[in-house]
Amino acid sequence: MTAVEWSDGAPIYRQLKERVVAMLLDGVLKPGDALPSVRQVAAEYQLNPITVSRAYQELADDQLVEKRRGLGMYVTEGAPSRLKTSERDRFLREEWPLVLERIQRLGLDLQELLDPKGKWGAK
Amino acid sequence: MSAVINNVVSARGLRKGYKNKLALNGTDFDIPVGRIVGLIGPNGAGKTTALKAILGLIPFDGQLAVLGKDPRTQRDELMNDVCFIADVAVLPRWMKVKEAIEFVAGVHPRFDAAKCRRFLEGTQLTPGLRVREMSKGMIVQLHLALVMAIDAKLLVLDEPTLGLDILYRKQFYQRLLEDYFDEEKTILVTTHQVEEIEHILTDVMFIRDGKIVLNAPMDELGNRYAEVLVNADKLDAARGLKPIDERALPFGKTVMLFDGANPGQLALLGETRTPGLADLFVATMKGTYA
Repeated sequence: MTAVEWSDGAPIYRQLKERVVAMLLDGVLKPGDALPSVRQVAAEYQLNPITVSRAYQELADDQLVEKRRGLGMYVTEGAPSRLKTSERDRFLREEWPLVLERIQRLGLDLQELLDPKGKWGAK
Repeated sequence: MSAVINNVVSARGLRKGYKNKLALNGTDFDIPVGRIVGLIGPNGAGKTTALKAILGLIPFDGQLAVLGKDPRTQRDELMNDVCFIADVAVLPRWMKVKEAIEFVAGVHPRFDAAKCRRFLEGTQLTPGLRVREMSKGMIVQLHLALVMAIDAKLLVLDEPTLGLDILYRKQFYQRLLEDYFDEEKTILVTTHQVEEIEHILTDVMFIRDGKIVLNAPMDELGNRYAEVLVNADKLDAARGLKPIDERALPFGKTVMLFDGANPGQLALLGETRTPGLADLFVATMKGTYA
């Protein structure tokens, strides 16, 4: 049984979508692979099927998966490249500003960031 | 097409009094088709009474339509389309698994015995096993298999997992989602295990003193309610926004719960998050036993 911890920050359907996106980025899911059915995911993760459908619908809207009539959802051929572009955008827009803020607060300089061992590791 | 039923259950002004207490006090609610609705409330709030009214098991006042029928006068017809698992899931102790299946096949026109046997594959429930030889978890397993094999439109569950261990509880909802629920079926469930079912629900109703005090789709709760971790220096500003609940934490922080406050304003006060159903429940029911 899979224990899944959902965080309280984002809606569950978005967290589920992120999970699939992470699997695509890691190559666990490849173009042409089938996604498990809504019913299977709902039962396994104990989510209501509407939540699961909504996550799948967003993945389809982003053209990362496509519906094949009567068969279910499949990863599209263009998914990896499309993802890489959108994930880069998202990182720069959402995650990087926070990291940058933290770097500045800690007063780290570029050299330390690129070669952390140079200062701390080689003793 | 005037016969289309959008609401599986529609209740207006339900009233039911026991000797010295109103169990239902002008209760209004609608349950649309294809939803999984949690009816949640403290002990004695009227949950079981509401379910009994829906099932036509008690007399009451007010308007109630279940699948377009009045449970008071059309109970027999209604029972073709409604299934029920009570918290006191009782099956005759002498009965064997195969006898239970034969019995339901004999009394219920929509029961599929083959389907029921399939649900029991992979469990420890063998055809010759008697109810008195079963653990509580196994009895609920059998009950669920019997009920899921009935092609009903509305399934009512009253504390279905009460007293079960965590493995059986998880499996119970897993089976329900995998083998039973679809967009034409509707499930109404009461439970105290709020955390366990909150992601399964599509809608939630809180009942208190016989009245529905919260009724919302789950995805709306995130827009409406927010919990904020407020720093000591912003306490007054935060209280100005009228939190519905607050509790102090160590290190000078206070958690406040807001209903319908502006997210932009809240973000200025501290870290925000969507409260869990359990947090909302505790805040809404404060003072119930006082």
